[in-house]
Amino acid sequence: MENIDKKLREEAKRLLEEKKVGVLVGYETGTLPLTATPCFITNPEDAEKLVWNAFCTQNLAKFVHDLISQHRESQKRVKPEDRKKKIVGVVARGCTTRSIVLHLQERQYGRDEVVIIGVPCTGYVDGKRLSVLAGGDDIREGSLEGDQLLVKTTAGEKRIPLQDALAGNCLTCRFNNPVLSDLMIGAQAPPMKPEQEYTEIEAFENLPTAERWAYFTKEMNKCIRCYACRQACPSCYCNTCFVEQSQPQWVGLGEDATDTQVFQLMRLFHMVGRCVDCGSCVSVCPMGVDLRKFLKKIDKDVFELFENRAGSSLEDTPPLSIFKEHDKEDFIFNP
Amino acid sequence: MARRKFAALKRFLDYIGLEGDRTIFTWISASEGERFANVIKGVTAKVRALGPASKLVNKL
Repeated sequence: MENIDKKLREEAKRLLEEKKVGVLVGYETGTLPLTATPCFITNPEDAEKLVWNAFCTQNLAKFVHDLISQHRESQKRVKPEDRKKKIVGVVARGCTTRSIVLHLQERQYGRDEVVIIGVPCTGYVDGKRLSVLAGGDDIREGSLEGDQLLVKTTAGEKRIPLQDALAGNCLTCRFNNPVLSDLMIGAQAPPMKPEQEYTEIEAFENLPTAERWAYFTKEMNKCIRCYACRQACPSCYCNTCFVEQSQPQWVGLGEDATDTQVFQLMRLFHMVGRCVDCGSCVSVCPMGVDLRKFLKKIDKDVFELFENRAGSSLEDTPPLSIFKEHDKEDFIFNP
Repeated sequence: MARRKFAALKRFLDYIGLEGDRTIFTWISASEGERFANVIKGVTAKVRALGPASKLVNKL
């Protein structure tokens, strides 16, 4: 990992010095132990801050979209001939590159507006899982030694195998190497266990209807409608989200349980063919709602019905904007 | 495309625990009056068999 950090900093510095990118989005060491946080670098000297490790959680494609769309908005007030492009560099793992591919497919920005520094990924640490493994106490200090996490809490020291603390989506990840990149740093990462990606979903599908509904309502009752999932999601980039629209008002804003369920249901359904399973929504959720149980089902359905994996190839068309003559239609009601 | 959206929606609603028979989709042309009546009869029969909806209902 040391080596990757060094190369990453060198490349980032070079890109900034040569003005190949205006701003670089990456990760820096977080303020809390065993965390990393997104950072924006414009000064080549600051490239020294960059890190790439198992604590880099958030999908940075969100910031790429935000930066470019804000820049474009600001350019509206500039004379057409004086308009400038903003080129954003990004440190991207597999799922981040999938999100960028998705943005490109959806014509959100041009390929020339983003420079992708691909990094191999062996999964990131799920903060909530780690805090449970650490015994629920605050983590005072921590370090990664080989494949063991050394965690110091108020109760004492603990060694936790890194593998146990990885996020659920990382363990069964199919695309842990970038699908699209301008330059690659480090060797290809070994594959995870993609053959098990739907095991959990298949088990849930086989439960009786009442139990599935009970689980859905139980999970959605935890939701406090903070919209952190939406803010973190790279696929959620609408200027005005349906929850904030008042004419028409799609969903109520009160504390009614049904409104919350409808909000979640609609957001989940907007992810058809668009969820890259980066786990950003799950990791930012303050209430620990099991969103992945439902998002992964959508991913499974889209693959089964339309043979598409969101953002896996630049040549694909978004599955909901095309159709094929022989799409399944066994669900159509015909009395 | 409507067919694709509906295929995904129906599977998803079924997955979260809504009765699959409550989501019904079919093609009817504006000129098919009789077919429209038949479809609606079929739909009401299905919904009657299920009874009143209790899920995702907003109580005012």
